[in-house]
Amino acid sequence: MQNFVNKSDDKKTPYETARNCRHYAMCKIDFLGSGVCESGLEKQFVSFYPQGRMILYEALAGNKISVTQKCIEIAGSCNLCGKCDYQCYFLNEMRPTKVMEALKNHVETYIKNGGKIKLSKDDDLLAEIKKIVGDNWATNDEAITVTYSHDLSAISDPKVPDYVVMPNTKEEISSLVKLFNKNKITYTIRGNGQNLLGFAINDGVIIDLNRMKTIEFDEKNWLVKVGPGVTAFDLQKQAQKRGYRINASEPAALLCANIMCSGIMSTFSTTYGINADNFINAEFVNHSGSLFNLNEISSPNLYSYKNLQHKDSPGICVSASIRLHPVTDDEKGILVPFETLNNALDFIKDCSVRHIGLALGIVGAEYISTFLSPTKKMASEIKNIFVDKLNIPWLVVVIGDKYAIRSISEMGFPFFDQNMFKSLYLGLPSLKTAQWLDLVKELSDDEPYSYLKVKSFAELFETALSPSPRLYSQEVDKELSPFFEKLFSRQEMTDLVWLNMYRIMSTRLGRKKPFLPALIYLPIDNDLINDFSDKFRLIAEKHGIDNDFGFITPIDNGKRCIFEYDFFYDYNDPDEIQRIRQVAMESNMLIDDYSVKTGTVKGHPYVLYQGFCRKENLLYS
Amino acid sequence: MAGKNKPVIALTGATGFLGSHLMATMLKKGYSIIVLGRTAKNESLKERISRLLQWFGIDRCLDQVTCIDADLSQYNLGIENKEYSRLCSVADYVIHCASDTSFSESKREKVMAANVNNLQGILEFSKNANVSFFHYISTAYVAGTGVTYCKEILSSAKSFTNVYEESKAAAENIISLFCQKNSISLSIIRPSIVYGDSQSGRSLKFNALYFPIRSAQSIRDIYLNDLRNNGGIKATKNGIYIDKDGYLFLPLKIYLPHEGDLNIIPVDYFVNATIKIIENCSQGGIYHLTNNFPTTMKIVAKYYEQLMKVRGVEIIYGPQPDNLLRNPAEELFDRFIEPYRPYLSDNRVFDRTNTSLATDNLNPPEFTYDIFKTCMEYAIEVNWGASIFG
Repeated sequence: MQNFVNKSDDKKTPYETARNCRHYAMCKIDFLGSGVCESGLEKQFVSFYPQGRMILYEALAGNKISVTQKCIEIAGSCNLCGKCDYQCYFLNEMRPTKVMEALKNHVETYIKNGGKIKLSKDDDLLAEIKKIVGDNWATNDEAITVTYSHDLSAISDPKVPDYVVMPNTKEEISSLVKLFNKNKITYTIRGNGQNLLGFAINDGVIIDLNRMKTIEFDEKNWLVKVGPGVTAFDLQKQAQKRGYRINASEPAALLCANIMCSGIMSTFSTTYGINADNFINAEFVNHSGSLFNLNEISSPNLYSYKNLQHKDSPGICVSASIRLHPVTDDEKGILVPFETLNNALDFIKDCSVRHIGLALGIVGAEYISTFLSPTKKMASEIKNIFVDKLNIPWLVVVIGDKYAIRSISEMGFPFFDQNMFKSLYLGLPSLKTAQWLDLVKELSDDEPYSYLKVKSFAELFETALSPSPRLYSQEVDKELSPFFEKLFSRQEMTDLVWLNMYRIMSTRLGRKKPFLPALIYLPIDNDLINDFSDKFRLIAEKHGIDNDFGFITPIDNGKRCIFEYDFFYDYNDPDEIQRIRQVAMESNMLIDDYSVKTGTVKGHPYVLYQGFCRKENLLYS
Repeated sequence: MAGKNKPVIALTGATGFLGSHLMATMLKKGYSIIVLGRTAKNESLKERISRLLQWFGIDRCLDQVTCIDADLSQYNLGIENKEYSRLCSVADYVIHCASDTSFSESKREKVMAANVNNLQGILEFSKNANVSFFHYISTAYVAGTGVTYCKEILSSAKSFTNVYEESKAAAENIISLFCQKNSISLSIIRPSIVYGDSQSGRSLKFNALYFPIRSAQSIRDIYLNDLRNNGGIKATKNGIYIDKDGYLFLPLKIYLPHEGDLNIIPVDYFVNATIKIIENCSQGGIYHLTNNFPTTMKIVAKYYEQLMKVRGVEIIYGPQPDNLLRNPAEELFDRFIEPYRPYLSDNRVFDRTNTSLATDNLNPPEFTYDIFKTCMEYAIEVNWGASIFG
């Protein structure tokens, strides 16, 4: 077995690395095609994935828990294969394998030194739970429960649940709910812990839905029915194999949970919509343990929308019938550069109104440089090049068929086509030292980015950057570069369509620091958006919080858009957590103010547990 | 130390290319200069001037300079009343060198604002200061298009190559009327294309003549890198190779509309001639600081090949054939030189009667290989201006 730990360039201690786990659950999906932690796939509890082991090691090394039976099992189940290094380095420049090794060492040393193994005993409730789901799928062992104490929201205080249970059927869920109601036990549903507001952590019982991974295609009705444990990434993969596409958010997000919480949104929402546009039906277990589905007349009307913060959940979503979308073989991605946000906004509005393009999104230089760069250092260098040398502070990502791309060309907008994007991406290291960039900037003097219209510029661009997987992979840890070279030789890794469908890069945004997004639905009104952007920035600056423009995607024929603004913070710094909480509060107040003032602005927190609503009810009521 | 009996000059554009070189030499000659300029993003006007004087090696002259934060678009140049009055009482001459030199049509509004609309402030200042002379730095190309012999008189041209020329012609007329009305002597100094110092090669700006050279050098470097480090697949595809003498053969056909000249003067000539005009002419007038022996792009191309160890550059006069197949280097180079193309094969001849009289027949040097080499080597040394201040 290859052990990567000692050869790593990463200077962080295992404890520091463990404390910096972003809890994105990306190690639970095979987004690089390099495989997923085998023990995780077998045992299913998050504790057996790298993310769980990171939390477990942090708890052990920080003396928060003792070594338990499950702890030995979890540590022993890691074979130090290094797959998590590939994945975590790709996203966050972190090397978890050394944490895995430290965990093993910690447990082995503890045992060698005669340490007492803490035995967890089944109490009456746990025995009842096990009767429902089977012995292997419920536990109160601290080594498991502690790994459910975090979710994506690092601003919520961690909470260790008393029990974790993994049901496999809706009937089991129904029985569990009835049991918990009878015993007045608090229970919380958890997908992959992608909730930004801390609603996937609680005391009491955590119901982890990850075993429920059924996927049933109904192609004649353009539908796929999924269980609540199916991730966006896995379903997209299955759909793509059959020649379809789904609208999917974060790749590790579980689709049912995603719809439930706030609805699915992506750059494809320009065409595929949001909220109820994305599914046909869904099944639930309500708070009494009874089943209902949305197509029953007697069911609660989840298609409605009420402007209430933190509305109660309608129950547990146990399946959803997701819409499948057609795909044509001429789809391509392009990047359209802009000097100002206003110009970019005008462009996406125009495209959206005219139905040009399948997916549209404005991103800033911070976003694009972070997505493309394999390391933090390089991202910062590349951002400066984009802004200062190429004069590209804004880019619009467009996915469209040949007619859409041709229309944009006819509209007169210069753009980086798919081939140039590939050159740019794999040639990023050359960009850092390219003397000719100053000239390119001067070429834009008369007409911004007009060099992109020069017939052979793409060829010269490629010659100048000498892009290659080898060049790109030279930027990463030396030991990982052969893997990266092989990875970036794969066509999809530089394919804008694939990258937008699977969104594997988006979590790179949290590489420098975890982030808290402010999400708003609002009209594509340049003044309003600039106003929000300025005010978010001022709020963040007042509290010393790093911040940046996230993205904007038009929806509903350009009548509205989704706007994300991001705040970055160190969740190991209690002072910074206090400040980010303040920023979150003030940002929400700002959104509330505008909501009242304009009647057209809706803040994301108000959508919580209303993800099944019709978008019209959300946007226009 | 300021020279006795030398007029006090109010100078705009002192941080620009021509203005800074003019300021440096005038300071060396003992003039006192009031610099009317603006604080930059992270640097005060005084810091900017101080940095420039350091570059010219005349830090000692800083006490001859009075730096005044001024906004030419504002009433009283945005200067507080008391200070404005004080400046009016000391300024003897105005040299108006500030200008937006962009050729871009998309920047028309900005260029016209800077070069035409903003004149009022500095003209009013000249009147209020009761200056005896207003010296305006214009361009030889106010003559416009369609003219072959350009006299040293106000331009009545109706068509221009770009907005810059148009704005300068409009400015000349406005200034002329104003000065006439207010009995201020006026000299209009019209340089052609200015490059660096013919002796040292030093320059603060690297556009105009430099731009095509820099573009060609960049394209050369891209293919050299391809040949040396990446197997030269792209280079070979386009017939680019390193020949037996170690020269890069890079086919670069440059089409220019017709035969013609490239009228360039070095900045040291510009400065010396301008100072002579300022010091010698009591009546004012219009002066062409142009070259009686202009060079051609064929000569510049030859110099470029020699210096950069390149072969394959071809200057072709006449229209570009339809459906001409161009290699990527040619396509990009064409785009690079587009704004400068009208100046690269120019048929205009410039009258220099006034200039010769005012400058005691001072003439710019012929553009030799040595001058080219000195100027380009300096440009490369300072990375075309990127590392000029270290």
